[in-house]
Amino acid sequence: MKQLALVIDLNVCVGCHACVTSCKEWNTSGPAGFMSDMNPYDADPTGTFFNRVQTFEIGVYPNTETVHFPKSCLHCEDPPCVPVCPTGASYKRKEDGIVLVDYDKCIGCKYCSWACPYGARELDENQKVMKKCTLCVDRIYDESLPESERKPACVLACPTSARLFGDVNEPDSVVSTAIRDNGGYQLMPEWGTNPANHYLPRRKTQITIHEDELIRVDNPLKKERQLPMPDADEQTLDDITSW
Amino acid sequence: MKKIEYTAIKGNSLAYYGLLGGLGLVMLIGLLAVWHMEHNGHYVTGMTNQIVWGMPHVFAVFLIVAASGALNVASIASVFRKEDYEPLARLSGLLAIALLAGGLVVLLLDLGRPDRLIVAMTYYNFKSIFAWNIILYTGFFAIVGVYIWFMMDHNMYRFKKQAGLAAFVWRLILTTGTGSIFGFLVARSAYDAALMAPMFIIMSFSFGLAIFILVLMASYNWTGRELGDEVVSRLRNLLGVFVAAVLYFVIVYHLTNLYITEHHGVEKFILLEGGQFTKVFWIGQIILGGLVPLALIYAPGVRNCRKTLAVICTLIIIGGLSTMYTIIIGGQAYPLEMFPGYEVSSTFFDGVVNDYTPSIYEIALGVGGVAVSLVIVAFIIKVLPFLPTSLADKQSS
Repeated sequence: MKQLALVIDLNVCVGCHACVTSCKEWNTSGPAGFMSDMNPYDADPTGTFFNRVQTFEIGVYPNTETVHFPKSCLHCEDPPCVPVCPTGASYKRKEDGIVLVDYDKCIGCKYCSWACPYGARELDENQKVMKKCTLCVDRIYDESLPESERKPACVLACPTSARLFGDVNEPDSVVSTAIRDNGGYQLMPEWGTNPANHYLPRRKTQITIHEDELIRVDNPLKKERQLPMPDADEQTLDDITSW
Repeated sequence: MKKIEYTAIKGNSLAYYGLLGGLGLVMLIGLLAVWHMEHNGHYVTGMTNQIVWGMPHVFAVFLIVAASGALNVASIASVFRKEDYEPLARLSGLLAIALLAGGLVVLLLDLGRPDRLIVAMTYYNFKSIFAWNIILYTGFFAIVGVYIWFMMDHNMYRFKKQAGLAAFVWRLILTTGTGSIFGFLVARSAYDAALMAPMFIIMSFSFGLAIFILVLMASYNWTGRELGDEVVSRLRNLLGVFVAAVLYFVIVYHLTNLYITEHHGVEKFILLEGGQFTKVFWIGQIILGGLVPLALIYAPGVRNCRKTLAVICTLIIIGGLSTMYTIIIGGQAYPLEMFPGYEVSSTFFDGVVNDYTPSIYEIALGVGGVAVSLVIVAFIIKVLPFLPTSLADKQSS
């Protein structure tokens, strides 16, 4: 069964928030309606986002690293937010596995927000219905767009190509290959929710170099003397070239 | 057993209309608060995308839990055949309906889209405990309504016991449903416990009876009817057992969590380091709502003192609201543990203890719901014979 998902490469994510802003820009202009920012600038800003970037430090000082962790709805294969919805407004599409909210059926009880272990759901302060990442469902099937652009806004916006999009159940898709080749993992698999989105871990490229490999065995300077300084009246390169 | 005479209260005094007017004003303020929140949006409340259920839910769940508990007195009479409670059964049923109505008004008006009530009533997702609760609430109105009708109608009186049994079973299921709203939540460390359902049931016994005693004493005191010590002390003793049982469940719940390493974080938060939530838990829920009432109930010097009993009941209500505050808001304030062992930070409140300051609008809505319940009781006992003319000792014994 088709299961569309994002694969996010934590190795190359630089935490620039381009995915956050492009998501907001696309979705606020789309059928989801505007994503309210009623109080965006004060000490305690509020606002609706489908995608947020968490940042956390790993390791103990001085051996620490900062990891940027973009997180949106993970489109779980067994989403806990769906069964709890009293009106069935929250549902998972059979055809492509996207978890969506029917904004016309949502009564705004916010119970799904309690049930989601990933904190992916947000109440739009103005429309007072629950909203979440749609995987840009209004864009990925839009045939008026060139095929290369039929991807979620965040994927197109990522400057480091840290975000991949595709069918995780199709073995040869770009996402499946990335997961397979790079040890892609799910967020908190112990919940049994089987999130469709995967993360590629931080990877360190290491090669072992022995000291003798740094010394040229055939270094001509070893055998010959230092090249002599040219005579003062001899032509130099500056005299015969035009740079 | 003697025939009990029920009469409606006169309800033509200035004080009665003053009471209705006062409660009406509280309801009006509540409605204005709703209008303000609806008009401006969620952000004017203390609620955020982290604390999605705030003060209105504290009141709503408290009232709903208390509603099923208020029916207890009637159940003791009809299901457990204790005739001494028989005269109180009608008021018990009425109070149950009134409290549920008050709670639901708050719950409904706090929904993001209360205008979509019809959607909630017509589209059911039967896997959702929330949807089940909608059915349980409406069913409760119907079953308790029929129960009251059978109690009041001489022709149907013979079916009263069956109706009482049905109402009793339904109220147990209803509170199981309310408790399971939290018990079925696996995503939050503070919940996800089967104990939630029975704990809510035992809490309902305590909160419902406390409100019942207050309403009973107030209505008899203000209408000049006789209320014997025997009835009162019987209810008082029962209340003592319920308060102790609530404390027992709270202890078991926290001990179990303390045993499980996974839950140490949230326990430390609620019991020690949670700031306002720790204070509300220890001062509101445990001391004021549990230990002090328990001590006062069994204190030898004040056994027949009505004022002390009123204080006890008030403390239990304060304790009940504190309990709901700790459970509902404290449980949300503790961050989701997505990266166990790591400290998470972001510009969007991830990984931090979420702060909550209830707004005046939320409190106004919650108190408005209480006023709705009380207005229903005050009005119905004026138009229908719900209160026994006298509950003096000789008649009830």
